[in-house]
Amino acid sequence: MSGVFRSRPALRWLVPTAAAVVVIGGGAAAGTIAASADPTLPERSAAQLLVDVQSAKVDGLSGTVVQTADLGLPALPGVTGGSGSGADLMKLVSGSNTARVWYAGEDKVRLALLGTLGETDVIRNGTDVWTWRSSDNSAVHAKIPADALTKKDKALPAGVPQTPQEAADAALAAVGPSTAVTTTGAAKVAGRDAYELVLTPKDAASLVGQVRLAIDGEKHIPLGVDVYAKGVDTPALRIAFQQVSFETPDPEQFVFTPPAGTKVTEPSTAELEKQHGSLGDKAAADAKAKGEGTKVVGEGWTSVLVATLPKEDGGSTAGKGADTAQLDAITNSLPKVSGTWGSGRLLQSALFSALLTDDGRVLVGAVAPEKLYEAAGK
Amino acid sequence: MSQVKIRRRVSSRFLASEVRLIAVRRRNQAGLAALAAVPVVIAIAMKVAAPDRTGRGQGGGPDFFSQILSNGFFVALAGIGVELTLFLPIAIAMLAGDAVAGEANQGTLRYLLTVPVGRIRLLAVKYAGIVMGAFLAPLVVATSGILAGLLLFGGGDVTTLSGTSISFGAGLLRLLGVCLYLGVCLTALGAVGLFLSTLTEQPMGATIALTMLTVASFVLGQIPQLDWLHPYLLTQHWQDFGELLRDPVSLSALQPGLLTAGAYIAVFLCAAWARFAGRDITS
Repeated sequence: MSGVFRSRPALRWLVPTAAAVVVIGGGAAAGTIAASADPTLPERSAAQLLVDVQSAKVDGLSGTVVQTADLGLPALPGVTGGSGSGADLMKLVSGSNTARVWYAGEDKVRLALLGTLGETDVIRNGTDVWTWRSSDNSAVHAKIPADALTKKDKALPAGVPQTPQEAADAALAAVGPSTAVTTTGAAKVAGRDAYELVLTPKDAASLVGQVRLAIDGEKHIPLGVDVYAKGVDTPALRIAFQQVSFETPDPEQFVFTPPAGTKVTEPSTAELEKQHGSLGDKAAADAKAKGEGTKVVGEGWTSVLVATLPKEDGGSTAGKGADTAQLDAITNSLPKVSGTWGSGRLLQSALFSALLTDDGRVLVGAVAPEKLYEAAGK
Repeated sequence: MSQVKIRRRVSSRFLASEVRLIAVRRRNQAGLAALAAVPVVIAIAMKVAAPDRTGRGQGGGPDFFSQILSNGFFVALAGIGVELTLFLPIAIAMLAGDAVAGEANQGTLRYLLTVPVGRIRLLAVKYAGIVMGAFLAPLVVATSGILAGLLLFGGGDVTTLSGTSISFGAGLLRLLGVCLYLGVCLTALGAVGLFLSTLTEQPMGATIALTMLTVASFVLGQIPQLDWLHPYLLTQHWQDFGELLRDPVSLSALQPGLLTAGAYIAVFLCAAWARFAGRDITS
């Protein structure tokens, strides 16, 4: 061996090259093998799986959830790249977020959104809800009255679904005459055998190609959701467990005592509602717009949300003003479109389109722009 | 049997002399002093400026800075956070650049190889010196940060990123974990440096090349359009040391960083061997 290397020194370079190939190839292969490993699960029909999911119940679980998005958005000023709130927003639409979840029944839930050197926690323990932000060392403590528990549950998933369960619920709500439901071979998510349920919109105008739910073979809860845009092989949106354990977490996980030096605010219930609204600018805008009157045109996968933008009022604070300026910059960078319905600006991505008309309406839907123009003309 | 014994003794002597050489070199001592000075400067600056507490957390500043006033422990973390992107890599680059190229530059490399020292063993001893430096550097920063912090701000229970409190002792243990993790990361950087050092006879060239590589790696890691490249970057998981400051700690979150480091070490040590074992030593 060493004789060969001595007589032909150039051959030595084969060793580091081989090492590099093994390291890079090994990493890639490990992923493919895990993905293609065919788990053996008893056959279940799509309908059975749907029922399984709805009746699934676990006493406790903990795990890591990763959300990735690749919506194919155009470059937007202040949103793509940069830092601060723009970067956070950017991460949500193109990039990945990691969260750790602990669940031990409806009233014991902890969600920790992991940042690079920070963390945002939402912890619910009985009637106490704590929100902790490590970036500014602050905590918000809210108490929910026992009779408002069901209402509270509805308020939480505003915006992007937080857990695979929520995302699956949203997808299942859309199932009906508009959707073809099939199953494919089994999948493997977070090292667990899972069934895969494929929801395909029947309406050809929808931009959504497929929604794939991975359902745990044993516990029947959704482990992952992939949303594919039409004609694209990689998911535009993916929320899945990276690691999951079905052991009931230690009750200590749900106890939060604000550490010394923490700013603690205890908002009243009314303020709390507002807080939830302002979690994201978009959520706030949505909530406001809802107050101004929104309607849904069309139904199923091709429904278009039509909202009227609130008029600018003097009540906005300085911080809000900066946001508005940024929003204006974004709006002005979008291409202008016009037609018999009027004129406005169009935001187009692989998965959805949004139209901002000059008369102050916002139309959003998982459809091609033509469908939006049609709705705008109504 | 006796032959084996003699070999072992010789080996440890070579290593000991290498470590002694590294330790007595003035520039290495100055480098360590500079590393230790940064947390002290941070602590004094925070003490003097002492921003009013109502303004805390508004602008924030770099990570961990806002917590320094309430607990000296965070001086160490702030120091590590500040030094990780440039100072620590430069320290390793200085050490690694010197390893082979330094000997070649001084003309001592051929004498070193005339004594019965195999080239592989020479590389191994040189790398061992780099590894020691890689683990020592973050420990020095942390120790100086803890001392400066305790002196100026006092200690107390440490708040984790998850908002729980742990005792100061447990905090120190976490800090030790952070130092060890970064030690592994810097060891991988040192392997790349050792390879660069075998390519040239100018130690400065290897040092600058390694520093530039580190900075380039950090910059590439910031560009979202290149996210397909990110898993392969050496520096991508360095900031993961924050995982050790959560509660509960998920050790599996450190796995990608350790695997990346291991991969870099394997590939670049092989490359250093391929280059050095077949090279004509003329100086």
